[in-house]
Amino acid sequence: MPDRILLVEDDLALGGQVAETLSQAGFDPHWVQDGDDARGLEPDDYRVIILDLMLPGTYGMDLLKRYRRTSEVPVLILSARDDTADKIRGLELGADDYVTKPFFPEELLARIHACLRRPNLMNTERIVVGAIRIDLERREAGASERALSLTPIEFEILATLARRKGAAVTRDALVEAALDPAQENSRRTLDVHVSRLRTKLGKDAAQLETVWGIGYRLSEGT
Amino acid sequence: MKLRTRLALTLGAATVVLLVVMGWAQSRWHSRVRVEALAEAAIHRMDSGGRERCEANPEQWPGRRGERGFGAPPPGGHRFRPPRFAAYDQNLRSRNPDSPPFPAELARQLEAGDEVAASRSTDSRRAEIAVRMPWNEGPCAVVLMRTKGPPHLFSGPVLMPALLVALVVILVALFSAGPIVRRVRQLTESVRKLGGDSEEPIHVDGNDEIAELGAAFEQTRQTIAAQLASLRDREAALRNYIANSTHDVMLPLSVLQGHLVSLQQRIEGGEQLDAKAIVPSLEESQYLGSLLHNLNAAARLEAMQGLEHHDPVDLNRLVERVADRHRPIANRKRIALEVGLPEQMVEVRGDLTLLEQALGNLVQNAVRYRDAGGHVAVVLQGTSSSWTLDVIDDGPGIDEADRSRVLERAFRGSEARTRHPHGMGLGLHIVSDVAKRHGLGLELLDTEGGGLTVRLRHAGQHTVGP
Repeated sequence: MPDRILLVEDDLALGGQVAETLSQAGFDPHWVQDGDDARGLEPDDYRVIILDLMLPGTYGMDLLKRYRRTSEVPVLILSARDDTADKIRGLELGADDYVTKPFFPEELLARIHACLRRPNLMNTERIVVGAIRIDLERREAGASERALSLTPIEFEILATLARRKGAAVTRDALVEAALDPAQENSRRTLDVHVSRLRTKLGKDAAQLETVWGIGYRLSEGT
Repeated sequence: MKLRTRLALTLGAATVVLLVVMGWAQSRWHSRVRVEALAEAAIHRMDSGGRERCEANPEQWPGRRGERGFGAPPPGGHRFRPPRFAAYDQNLRSRNPDSPPFPAELARQLEAGDEVAASRSTDSRRAEIAVRMPWNEGPCAVVLMRTKGPPHLFSGPVLMPALLVALVVILVALFSAGPIVRRVRQLTESVRKLGGDSEEPIHVDGNDEIAELGAAFEQTRQTIAAQLASLRDREAALRNYIANSTHDVMLPLSVLQGHLVSLQQRIEGGEQLDAKAIVPSLEESQYLGSLLHNLNAAARLEAMQGLEHHDPVDLNRLVERVADRHRPIANRKRIALEVGLPEQMVEVRGDLTLLEQALGNLVQNAVRYRDAGGHVAVVLQGTSSSWTLDVIDDGPGIDEADRSRVLERAFRGSEARTRHPHGMGLGLHIVSDVAKRHGLGLELLDTEGGGLTVRLRHAGQHTVGP
């Protein structure tokens, strides 16, 4: 069943577009145009609430306060104003994030996904990233049903990337986690270790991506 | 009532009151001296044979000769009338049948222990003085004198000079108030002119209170004039700003319209268009949005000193938000926009909107002036106490010589507002100003392998803004 999203937006054109974007992205949007109508709704019926701050009738902040009294549902604020006080107040009242107008549909979806991701409760002992499995306690790793024989440095690199799967990790952070940062040319050394790690990963090596300007990333793969 | 008249009448009234008080005091003193002199004279007369004569013949004393008694009528024709005497024993009874009964009021005073008692009639025409003699026995122990009363408080020679003096005072006041009144009028005139938007300073001669009042008016005039001038400047600046901003917005809007018209013509011409053809229009529309935010930020920065907000800002989320904002265009342009964040949250205190706008400008510039296949990376490293935030691209970069120049330009310079080939227009100036106000270092560096790296650096403790 698709996630239900409450959209409180008074503007017809923008509200229609956002609702359509949400539908296309696989959500089940419930679009309410009037702030007063939105007051009567039960926030916990939704996975995410998207709230326009400049609503007629009810000021968006009041609605946010009302929802926050009974519910922990993620709330994303839409704001056309460049007013820091407004944003800070929204965040203080319990909004999870905000999107400033004008925005592309993808930006809104990215923020919604970010809201849904939090809090990130990851099992810290065993991590699975695509075909790659890492047991942090036993310090064992495997890929595509076979065990990998890794040096301590290679394991530490893989584990650091796996703990933050999907996110780019800087070379400096990897050096700090797996190598001696005081050592000269430690970045180059890191690249050598990663290269060896890729060889050991074999056909799953594509999951260990080089990220330009940053370092490496362990992705779920295709 | 005019100031001058009011001043003169006040002084005149004060003079009259003063004279009345002085007249009354003088009259009191005069009657006291008179009573004492008469008492002395009576004792002296009785001492020098009067007592013997009186006690020898109390039924007739003071008799017709020399010591006139009450029974004798005064001889007419004399202006000065000596007092008439009567003698009484210590019980205040007289043997002389012509003597009047002893006045009750004087009796009370003597009984109270006074040696001399005096009273006057209600019309002040007669005065009675009783003197207890140093011997307290016999028929002549107390002598009563009846004489003419003291002069009236305002009898002819007192009242007239008083009124004359008051009149003189009024005239002098009227005359001498002239210069003061003239200076007050001068001040009034100067202050009146202020309403007519005069630049003329307010000046009053002298160094008294009126001159001080004039100086205070002048100080206020200068303050108001300065505020007025500042308001006019701001109004002119605002008008100029709106005109410039309108121009700034019209430019990308024209470009956007141009893109759309060209698309329409190409479709009408039967050309098969792929999705890429619409990317410039999308980019331009995003640029417009960003430009409006920049204009808003510039206006806020110009209007304030330091920072208005010092809230804790989660930099990791700020970087994610900025990347999400620019990724739609980067993806369509096939530019890789990547983000590298530390595992721990990096927190900075400052203005959320301005920091986000500043980072957004750096990322937008990097994406806008790269072609397909380019790379842009946003890398946050360090901890809340010391961190760097790099926006790295593999574009053409900026010559070393130009770097300090692009950071130095002012907001208002027309050059700053134009779209620089490297995208270093208004956006970078906002970055520079925002960094300064947050106590952050801003460096333009070479990217390894070519390109520009813009680094925001927070090194150790700092205080944010005033």
